[in-house]
Amino acid sequence: MSTDLDRQIEQLKRCEPLKESEVKALCLKAMEILVEESNVQRVDAPVTICGDIHGQFYDMKELFKVGGDCPKTNYLFLGDFVDRGFYSVETFLLLLALKVRYPDRITLIRGNHESRQITQQVYGFYDECLRKYGSVNVWRYCTDIFDYLSLSALIENKIFSVHGGLSPAISTLDQIRTIDRKQEVPHDGAMCDLLWSDPEDIVDGWGLSPRGAGFLFGGSVVTSFNHSNNIDYICRAHQLVMEGYKWMFNNQIVTVWSAPNYCYRCGNVAAILELDGNLNKQFRVFEAAPQESRGTPAKKPAPDYFL
Amino acid sequence: MMDLEVDENNLKAAGAELFADDGRRGIRISGWSIETRRHSILNSSAIQEWEQKLNTSHLPEMVFGENTLILRHFSSGTRIHFNAFDALCGWKQEALPPVEVPAAAKWKFRSKPSQQVILDYDYTFTTPYCGSGNIEIDKDVNEGEISKETSDILWEDCKDQIDVAALASKEPILFYDEVVLYEDELADNGVSLLTVKVRVMPSSWFLLLRFWLRVDGVLIRLRETRMHCVFGGHTSPIVLRESCWRESTFQALSAQDHPFDSGAYGDPSFISQKLPIIMHTTKKLVISS
Repeated sequence: MSTDLDRQIEQLKRCEPLKESEVKALCLKAMEILVEESNVQRVDAPVTICGDIHGQFYDMKELFKVGGDCPKTNYLFLGDFVDRGFYSVETFLLLLALKVRYPDRITLIRGNHESRQITQQVYGFYDECLRKYGSVNVWRYCTDIFDYLSLSALIENKIFSVHGGLSPAISTLDQIRTIDRKQEVPHDGAMCDLLWSDPEDIVDGWGLSPRGAGFLFGGSVVTSFNHSNNIDYICRAHQLVMEGYKWMFNNQIVTVWSAPNYCYRCGNVAAILELDGNLNKQFRVFEAAPQESRGTPAKKPAPDYFL
Repeated sequence: MMDLEVDENNLKAAGAELFADDGRRGIRISGWSIETRRHSILNSSAIQEWEQKLNTSHLPEMVFGENTLILRHFSSGTRIHFNAFDALCGWKQEALPPVEVPAAAKWKFRSKPSQQVILDYDYTFTTPYCGSGNIEIDKDVNEGEISKETSDILWEDCKDQIDVAALASKEPILFYDEVVLYEDELADNGVSLLTVKVRVMPSSWFLLLRFWLRVDGVLIRLRETRMHCVFGGHTSPIVLRESCWRESTFQALSAQDHPFDSGAYGDPSFISQKLPIIMHTTKKLVISS
């Protein structure tokens, strides 16, 4: 069994997608593992925390070069594996195959892009599946698996990790544990907030985005959450940071971003956060994969007779 | 980087010369220098600076603050250029009210946390920006000492139209580039994107500045400014500028049997004709050498 899986992992590491039937079988196995995980999945240190990847497969390979291979390194990925980049299929399947092969050495939690609605819009994963497989079956298998991904992680009872942020409906970790997560990401409520909300400098308590949906939370919200749950700080992803990571509110929350040169044009660096056995922190900053290692030639646009 | 195969013979025949160094590339042709610069998005400290200067606490997620397109006319000192900072000044000034996303209706019924602050800036970063410009003349103050004197350029109303037929002819393109000035994903609720692209042919240059906004399920807004300048030998060059603003709600589009889903509205070039025009102006700039 594991030799088959090992072969698939090697294949995915070359950025070659699996057959549809293999994806189906992989997802079934992953489901059995993920269904057992808590909404606040316990993670032991040492661990390396990674933020958004967004289908930038070759840049994720850079990440593994910097952070070490799984299972040698224990990983926690904070979601947003898919959309935007060119290789969402290969990126997500490689992470999922590693999860099935080494369930205790890699933790995957859900980002707001791990949803049917978001991936089906203009952000790419749905179209990519259709293009690479000629049918939407693989997209269906993957989005069904998204429903099983955990919502957050707790490292050594001291570091709370989540994709987006906090929710006004949540003040204790136990409240997260009671969420029935096996569903599409709802448009509102605690589960939605955990995947969508953002810290915001200019509010102290809670703020509402000018879009009319989406919570923003300020420093005092983080202080009281960390205090009541006896945690040191929150580690989250979800927002692009030019420097790869960013502390806010007196080191009570940190954003980690792991997609270098985001959308292949931003020129930003990326970071991962390494925690050793004593929870000592080290940020490892890395750059995008060099063009020649990407397998695809740089786009040379034809003269564009735009009007 | 957009490298374009350009026929040396075409360049030579047009008396043009390409140049490139360190993020900067361009062409010198018929008394003009046209160049683009392309860099990374602003870093955190630069963002703070901009926020202070613009008196705001919110900027687009991706501000390509050093990206620019500059068109210089040598003998007159005229400079037409495009940059994110001036565009964001326009955004601050216009200060449109926020557009609510579809989910907002449901959120109104959520129990609100106490002391909630509702932010109300225009998160779409809609701007009336149609380019920047000035005239820079070197004045010889004292012997050998040169001071720059800057004055504004004057766009006049006019009835002339950009000659689309001439632009549609497949004259060789000697220089082409597109730069992004800013971009925001509206927290996965669509896209706000300001770009400018330029093409230079033996007989003219042409550019398109485009602000493209799609708030999924709600609104599509397209504000385009085109400029065209025919190289005129010895006469004073004239730059024609057409600005066209188009806008529609998703509801209005689907009422006309256009699709409702955002997937159909990925590329502004295809959707443009379906959007009603809400503003159109034509102006010209006469460059006196």
